[in-house]
Amino acid sequence: MNFDMTSDNVIQLRDINKTYPGVVPLHVLKDVSLDIHKGELVSIMGASGSGKSTLLNILGILDNYDSGSYHLDGVLIKDLSENRAAELRNRMIGFVFQSFNLINYKNALENVALPLFYQGVSRKKRNALAMEQLERMGLADRAHHLPGELSGGQKQRVAIARALVTKPSLILADEPTGALDSKTSKEVMQVFRDLNDSGMTIVIVTHDPTVGAATDRIIRIVDGRIDSND
Amino acid sequence: MFDLIREISQTIKNNKLRTILTGIAVAWGIFMLIVLLGAARGVVNSYEEESSSSSVNSIRLWSGTTSMPYKGYKDGRWVRLKDNDMEAISGEVSAVSDVAISTSASGFNIVGPKDYISGGFEAVYPDEARTQRIFDIKGRFVNQKDINDLRRVIVISSDNAALLFGDADKALGQEVKAMDLSWMVVGVYTHRWRKSSFVPYTTYKAITGGDGYVDQMTVRVEGIATDTEAEETESQVRSVLARRHEFDPADSNAVWVWNQFASYLKQGQAMVYLNLAVWVIGILTLLTGIVGVSNIMFVSVRERVHEIGIRRAIGAKPNSIIIQILAESIAITALFGYIGLVAGMGVLQVLDSLLGDSQGFSNPTVDISIAVQVTVALIVAGAIAGLFPAIKATKVKPVEALRDE
Repeated sequence: MNFDMTSDNVIQLRDINKTYPGVVPLHVLKDVSLDIHKGELVSIMGASGSGKSTLLNILGILDNYDSGSYHLDGVLIKDLSENRAAELRNRMIGFVFQSFNLINYKNALENVALPLFYQGVSRKKRNALAMEQLERMGLADRAHHLPGELSGGQKQRVAIARALVTKPSLILADEPTGALDSKTSKEVMQVFRDLNDSGMTIVIVTHDPTVGAATDRIIRIVDGRIDSND
Repeated sequence: MFDLIREISQTIKNNKLRTILTGIAVAWGIFMLIVLLGAARGVVNSYEEESSSSSVNSIRLWSGTTSMPYKGYKDGRWVRLKDNDMEAISGEVSAVSDVAISTSASGFNIVGPKDYISGGFEAVYPDEARTQRIFDIKGRFVNQKDINDLRRVIVISSDNAALLFGDADKALGQEVKAMDLSWMVVGVYTHRWRKSSFVPYTTYKAITGGDGYVDQMTVRVEGIATDTEAEETESQVRSVLARRHEFDPADSNAVWVWNQFASYLKQGQAMVYLNLAVWVIGILTLLTGIVGVSNIMFVSVRERVHEIGIRRAIGAKPNSIIIQILAESIAITALFGYIGLVAGMGVLQVLDSLLGDSQGFSNPTVDISIAVQVTVALIVAGAIAGLFPAIKATKVKPVEALRDE
């Protein structure tokens, strides 16, 4: 196998296997190897049941794998304790979810600042950093609104601000436009493009071809294997 | 720490319904527990007072009338107890530790500087204080020296002291007039309902040149543990009196006997059961409270699995989640527990002021340390009840938790 082993890989997967135990064990990922470079905007596409969600969970340190190796920004992600996994998630990955996953009783600013709370950053400093990201998303005037008072596009931009606030190595987005109309989807994709232009590595899991088309590279996953990588 | 408090107050503020429901369960549990324990304590107190006012380890004797002919005497003869029966009984019946006699003298007034009381007093021995359960005395009761030296001293109730002197606190050391003589007030006692005045029996006898007849005699017994022994002692006392007053020892009407010792034993046992019942009620109520609080805590954490998933995805460590949930449940149970505690104590105060002196209910209070202990027990239970689902919630993979909507 011929892989780029240079250090500018943010993600480096080697022969990842994952089986869900059961009466009939389900082998979801089969020898998956993959490199994602710093500054890339990549989409992972696949039909439901193809294993793309499992791959996303492993990339997001939300789930373990059985064999192989996963380096995230040079750090081997394997058999981590819950605490270490939480710490790495907090520092290295910014998540963006389909359903936004904002805490509904916290205003936009507090939602964005929350990851910094878990880093022990002082309130004043985390509010300043959160405000910076909201300004970047053009939502400074919505900082004190609750999620319920925001539109879908605004909610997703708040979620993106939250993903960016810890200055992670990687943004992982799971169907980020899945709950949005086409106009808003375009706007959100433009936000990702702009972020990518400023050097951020972004991985988007989607089944939407238009979203895939808007990325630099599409990784197709079929039946637990990388089918095409171009 | 300040951040954690902010987080908690925000969660609580933003989940008002959940917080209020939990709080009501906690406050109600503690409120009921305090009120139940207090009310039960009131019943027990009252029972203790009622029974102790008449139940002591003693046998009481009153003069009676014979119902059987005996040694040439016909029935219907009045048998009057005399003060010298006292020495005979204490000399001849081994279980008897002490005999006290008392007789009431009436038909004169006791006159103080402000007012007078009519009726009279009781001429007694020092032991009468125990027999009549008079314990709360300023100054002292009639003592042996009063008996020996025939002192003209008197012990009065605080109500009468207030009447006679205008102020109960001024009575001690002052004099009152009775039977045309002055008597020094050496004791002022407080009792829920007794009002009699007491003077030394010997003084009274010397003044009246009395015939030695007494109204009643109290025989205190020691070292007796069973009903049979108590009855044996009673029949010994009866035979001493039968010999001295010449009546048939089997004639139960000749001298009226109230063997309080037998009921003393039974009441002691009843007291144990009553106290046990109070504790069983208390513990069952506490358990009910714990189950209620635990339920609500469980549901409340279950409801937050999704939020916990979000927090974990963005980097919350399992411990920080557990600490936050624990701190929240402790804050809620402590706050509402305190409200329940105060409300329960308040209701007991009201009960006390409304029913405090009525029959069958007295001083319905809960020891503050017990109240605090049960509150702490509920808080700990609430915390533990929150802990298990919190730990469980952190075991759920963040992905699964995020799907839980």
